Amino acid sequence: MLEQSLFYRTKKFILILSIAFAFVYGLLPLLTDSFDILNRMSLFLEKTEIDPTRYYYTDVEQVIESEQYLRTVL
Amino acid sequence: MEKDSNVVVDDGRARWSDLWKKEDYLAIWLGFSIILVCIIAYFNFGPRDEFVDKFDVANQIQAAESAKVPFKSITWYKALDDKLKLKGSNSEFGKFVSKWTKNPGSWKSNPVDSFIRTEKQANALNAKAMPKYEEAKARSEAALSAALIAEQAAASMSFKDDALNDEAKAKITVWRTAHKAAGDAKKKTENKPYNFLPTLLGLCLFFALILGAGIHLMGQRFMPFVKGFTVVFLIATLAYLLGGQTISKQYGIGAEAWGIILGMIIANTVGTPKWVLPSCQVEFFIKTGLVLLGAEVLFSKIMAIGIPGVFVAWVVTPIVLICTYIFGQKVLKMPSKTLNIVISADMSVCGTSAAIAVASACRAKKEELTLAIGMSLVFTAIMMIALPAFIKAVGIPEVLGGAWMGGTIDSTGAVAAAGAFLGEKAMYVAATIKMIQNVMIGVTAFCVAMYWTMKVEREAGREVGAMEIWNRFPKFVLGFLAASIIFSLIDSNMGKDMGTALLDQGVIRGGTRLFRAWFFALSFAAIGLSTNFRELSKYFKGGKPVILYVCGQSLNLVLTLIMAYIMFYLVFPEITATI
Repeated sequence: MLEQSLFYRTKKFILILSIAFAFVYGLLPLLTDSFDILNRMSLFLEKTEIDPTRYYYTDVEQVIESEQYLRTVL
Repeated sequence: MEKDSNVVVDDGRARWSDLWKKEDYLAIWLGFSIILVCIIAYFNFGPRDEFVDKFDVANQIQAAESAKVPFKSITWYKALDDKLKLKGSNSEFGKFVSKWTKNPGSWKSNPVDSFIRTEKQANALNAKAMPKYEEAKARSEAALSAALIAEQAAASMSFKDDALNDEAKAKITVWRTAHKAAGDAKKKTENKPYNFLPTLLGLCLFFALILGAGIHLMGQRFMPFVKGFTVVFLIATLAYLLGGQTISKQYGIGAEAWGIILGMIIANTVGTPKWVLPSCQVEFFIKTGLVLLGAEVLFSKIMAIGIPGVFVAWVVTPIVLICTYIFGQKVLKMPSKTLNIVISADMSVCGTSAAIAVASACRAKKEELTLAIGMSLVFTAIMMIALPAFIKAVGIPEVLGGAWMGGTIDSTGAVAAAGAFLGEKAMYVAATIKMIQNVMIGVTAFCVAMYWTMKVEREAGREVGAMEIWNRFPKFVLGFLAASIIFSLIDSNMGKDMGTALLDQGVIRGGTRLFRAWFFALSFAAIGLSTNFRELSKYFKGGKPVILYVCGQSLNLVLTLIMAYIMFYLVFPEITATI
């Protein structure tokens, strides 16, 4: 019973992980390719190397750039 | 956050031994130890003297040019470029810290790329990028020649001919754009081989030791913590790996989100092993991370774009936060005040970092933090695409559009992406507004902690004395604020150039930030590993959190746009014109 339970839990783990991976690495790329604006944003992010997941200003290079530009012009 | 929803409120008596036994204080000591090491390494053993000399030379050149030329000349800009090259993080200590805190990097189709890049691969990438760099370099040189000719023409008339001056300024602007493009292209030809596996092992050991020491002082066992910590670190590393994939990043699913997802999948399927749970010290990781984050909250940044930035970021934000909280309490009747305030802060201030700070300040449940961040990620991914598209479609000017996005899109990375997608000036304004909002975290966390301690947590009909307020107050918030005040003072006393080169680009970006990122990644992995999905799903009932977020964000969008328009176009149009 314990073995079955572990087997069942492991099966559930693999299934849910597979669904998560399929969503992020399967569906989202499909979605990106299906809509022009998403595709353009994807190419743009690859070209500029901006990371949208970064949450604080010290993690984002473009903030330093922006600060320096404004310091120069203002 | 609450360790246990059934925990009885502290008896309120402070003891001296709390200083080396209580989690809040240990987080402060650990955070400040890292800060101190970075400050000593950069200020005492860093290239400070070399920088002083080079800044003096560059500043003298710029002063001489400004006295001679009525606009920023080529020589002025070259001196600026020399100053910008000076970064504390390029010192030996900076390279050492950067190497040993590296997390798995970006990848597109091969996850191994995030850990290992061979010399052959690096050379192939560099060779591929070289033609574009050479093209960009040629354009930059051509633009520089044209700018030189135009400036010399203006100089021949002693800079008294406005038409020649304007022509020179225009050519110099073209050169600067081409120069930046060449710089960006050059970076893509400088790929180096790497192997992060040994350094990740070393970092895991380092964290296990320093965190384990803290756990031991708190009265828990060192070895069981270290044993379980390897799993938490592994999950955080895998989260960095999964979040480094390009499509995952585009939709905002980074290391923090993957830490929660992976951890929750494990916890709710095979089950988090019992020997790992003592290492899921969510609060300890987060509080230490927050003390380190305090060092990045520099109050001098508030004036980066002048008064308009202050009004958009520091006037609208608290109004939206308070109105959303009141709406949540009085209209939606949110069952949890802590969930309400975390969502309100997350949406109005700056997303994940604000949610973390406020959740800790009001002792929210980790499920509440997870929910708030999850919603923020979803709406951020949508707004990052929708807002620039809408701004372009209706013809909103770049500066206004940038200010709007900066004040409303939650994460700084997404703001930079959305701003850059719209245009260069939009990015400059958006990113700066977001930075100013980021600085609000300290004040927000402190105010929420005070409000919660004095009003929310007190028993009905019972007055709260000063000592009780002190005892209940989350002490790590003081460490967070102290780090912020100390660094802000250092920054303002060092002057702009040295402050940027040694503090911002040294101690912070080349030191405390690297550790802070890992502490937060570890905390999210730990949250995931200790979260029961059924507990989390309870908070979705009725959809109130989503309604709260949508209503609050709608108010945020309207108020930010109005304030941005008033400040940038009615009150300070000259700032907008200069940008």
